[in-house]
Amino acid sequence: MSLLDLSRWQFAITVMFHMTFPAITVGLSIFLAVVYGLYWRTGRAVYLQMFRFWRRIFAVGFAIGVVAGAVITFQMGLNWGVYGARTGPIIGPIIGMEVVTAFFVEAGFIGVLLYGDGRVRKVTMFVSTVMVSVGTVLSSTWIIAANSWMQTPAGFKVVHGQFEPTDWMRVIFNPSFIWRWPHMLAAVLISASFFVAGISAWYLVKGRAKGFARRSMSIALGIAALLMPVQLYLGDGVAGHELPYQLSKLEAIEGNWDNGNTGFVLFSVPDQQAARNIAELDIPCLGSYIAKDLGCKTAMPGLKLTPAADRPDMAATFWGFRVMFLAAVLMFGTVFAATVLRMRNRLWTARRFHRFVLWTTPVGILAILGGWVTAEAGRQPWIVFGQLRTSAAVSHLAPGEVLFSVIGFSVLYLFMLVAYVVYIVRTMRTGPERDDPGQEPPPRNLPDSGRVRHAANTVPLGSREVAAR
Amino acid sequence: MTTTLWSATVLVCLLMYVVLDGYDLGVGVATLFERDPAHRRHLLESVAVGWDGNETWLILLGVALWAGFPLAFGTILPHAYLPIIVLLFSLVVRGVSVEMASQAPPAPRWTTAFGVASLLASFAQGFALGTLTSAVHLRGGVYTGSAFGAFSWFCVLSGLTVTTAYTALGYAYTKHKSSGLLRESAARRGALATAVAGALSVLVLVTVETTAAPLNLGSPGRAFAFAVLLVFAAGGAVTSLVTFPWRRQSVAADALPLGGLVIATVSVFLALGVARYPVLLPPGLTVDSAVGPHSTMVFILVGIGLNMPLVLAYNVFAHRAFAGKLDTEGVHS
Repeated sequence: MSLLDLSRWQFAITVMFHMTFPAITVGLSIFLAVVYGLYWRTGRAVYLQMFRFWRRIFAVGFAIGVVAGAVITFQMGLNWGVYGARTGPIIGPIIGMEVVTAFFVEAGFIGVLLYGDGRVRKVTMFVSTVMVSVGTVLSSTWIIAANSWMQTPAGFKVVHGQFEPTDWMRVIFNPSFIWRWPHMLAAVLISASFFVAGISAWYLVKGRAKGFARRSMSIALGIAALLMPVQLYLGDGVAGHELPYQLSKLEAIEGNWDNGNTGFVLFSVPDQQAARNIAELDIPCLGSYIAKDLGCKTAMPGLKLTPAADRPDMAATFWGFRVMFLAAVLMFGTVFAATVLRMRNRLWTARRFHRFVLWTTPVGILAILGGWVTAEAGRQPWIVFGQLRTSAAVSHLAPGEVLFSVIGFSVLYLFMLVAYVVYIVRTMRTGPERDDPGQEPPPRNLPDSGRVRHAANTVPLGSREVAAR
Repeated sequence: MTTTLWSATVLVCLLMYVVLDGYDLGVGVATLFERDPAHRRHLLESVAVGWDGNETWLILLGVALWAGFPLAFGTILPHAYLPIIVLLFSLVVRGVSVEMASQAPPAPRWTTAFGVASLLASFAQGFALGTLTSAVHLRGGVYTGSAFGAFSWFCVLSGLTVTTAYTALGYAYTKHKSSGLLRESAARRGALATAVAGALSVLVLVTVETTAAPLNLGSPGRAFAFAVLLVFAAGGAVTSLVTFPWRRQSVAADALPLGGLVIATVSVFLALGVARYPVLLPPGLTVDSAVGPHSTMVFILVGIGLNMPLVLAYNVFAHRAFAGKLDTEGVHS
């Protein structure tokens, strides 16, 4: 394995691990703001219970997302120093805007969101939850702008190998950003919805905390039902507006080497060296239908149109897309079924459906990871499409130190992932009953009495301990 | 002009980070010396509400360097690869353990992980700063070097200095935020940490002359600023040393050790900055050779610069929302 491969593996591992957490927490932060807002306006205990329970899941996921995200920022210089130096004038400012308009907003208000319950006024709590979700959405916006520029670079000139911005509007609102941004936003909302719906379904299966579980699942599946059709349209828009700039990616997604296939490749084992598929399963004419030609005449372009040196790895691109696509079909079917059950007033009695929804908990996250594999692997061998090759962007490090970091990150992240899953399972088992405000003694200080001040201006550790139990 | 302004911005990020995450990491190191599990928890909880905001300054520091001085970003990071990787490992463990320990108490193992990761992060940071005194190898504007090429005994000294200085800051913060036994032990140990950090800092200032990046005090302006800053640093350190042991509860007894240490830390960094500007890495990587194009500098000065007051406001909000002492007296859970 070469230095380049090691650095690419390192990036793949760290970025996929990172992405898992925003896929949960961006949507969950909005969910928390909504349920706290509902609690604030209606005063109903179940909303406070929902806020407290989902906050537990959110808190640790958010922390892992933050620290794993910090790693990626530094990798741009550590392992991709040449990329860092050359694209710095364009990508650096975009990420800089992300830090000041998103990270600091999140960081400023997350403390109140997590630990302010009972210590600060309700309005402060609500504003903090809204600000954290605004931060997470802005963060997604800037990061998609930066990545989209790498997909469809615009508004720049190259001086001595360095990219210089000439028109910031075109840099940020580059051709693929317009479609990828709403696509990503819908994706994280849907993935969080399935995550919430799945965990809620477990309580319905077990017959526990029904009021809490029904309301959580109802909101989550409702949002997903609204967004899934929109998402299919947006996904098609991304394909229609990004891929004309990246024909090699389109060819790899379709899975054909030669032109002429009007079918849709459902399964394939590509052999990159020999430029052929070892095994392949097609659905006849579907490729043509997807290209809006019902006459079964429009054929898909093959990857051989792209010179061998400029071809992305077909297996990764093809399968990344299939995972995203099949997960989307599954999710669409799930929310469709949920809507039908709801209209027939059977959503809360359909026990087999609850069991099924439980199994769909991670589907949205898998779809997002699959989508990113398609986007990133399909962009290869370029790091900035058509402009800078990945092989030319890597830092000239000693292979040993990169190997050390790859092994370190793999072990560490595997451990963190296991720890988070164990934590979620434990939190689920303990359940939302302890978060029911009716179950605890009334607080000594009314939360609405302004910033809580105690004798000698001390904040009892107890208030947080109570909230934590 | 834009180069100078942005250099100042990067320096502000560095100083904010060192002070804010300094106390944060220092509190983590302090947990390692605390036997009582209740005290360890109090220490962890005192930073649980703010660690994210403090650490964000490190990201802004990195990104400010990347946006304004892209060549420096692409060179310094590979140059200090291993210590920075260890720093990132430690920060990952630390962030996760804080939330795990405060969401699912008592979690003694996560609390220990938090302490160990804080110690490693502090040392790795100091070590990485130390590598800024080693000569860098560039070929055609691209970093070339070996895994351990940037390492020297000075890096170890720098790592120890930063670790003890952070620990002292952590104890000062703890004294400020706690009462009772925890406050007393923080006062005792804080004074010791301050003394050790002060001695090590003097050693750093003396021995930095022997590295590849000696101090540049050629002009009278520089020499004067350097001297004044060192006087400030000494004043701050002495203030902390004197006020740390004050036992009576008073604003001065709680605020002066922290204030003195902040002044001392900021002054030492500023003094080194003054004596080094405009060199980023010896021998020849300067702010002027690394600076980005004009269109970028204007964008970041306006876009990021205008956001700085807001960023500071968020920081103030986050710290004020949890102002006051934690009740660390009598509560033994």
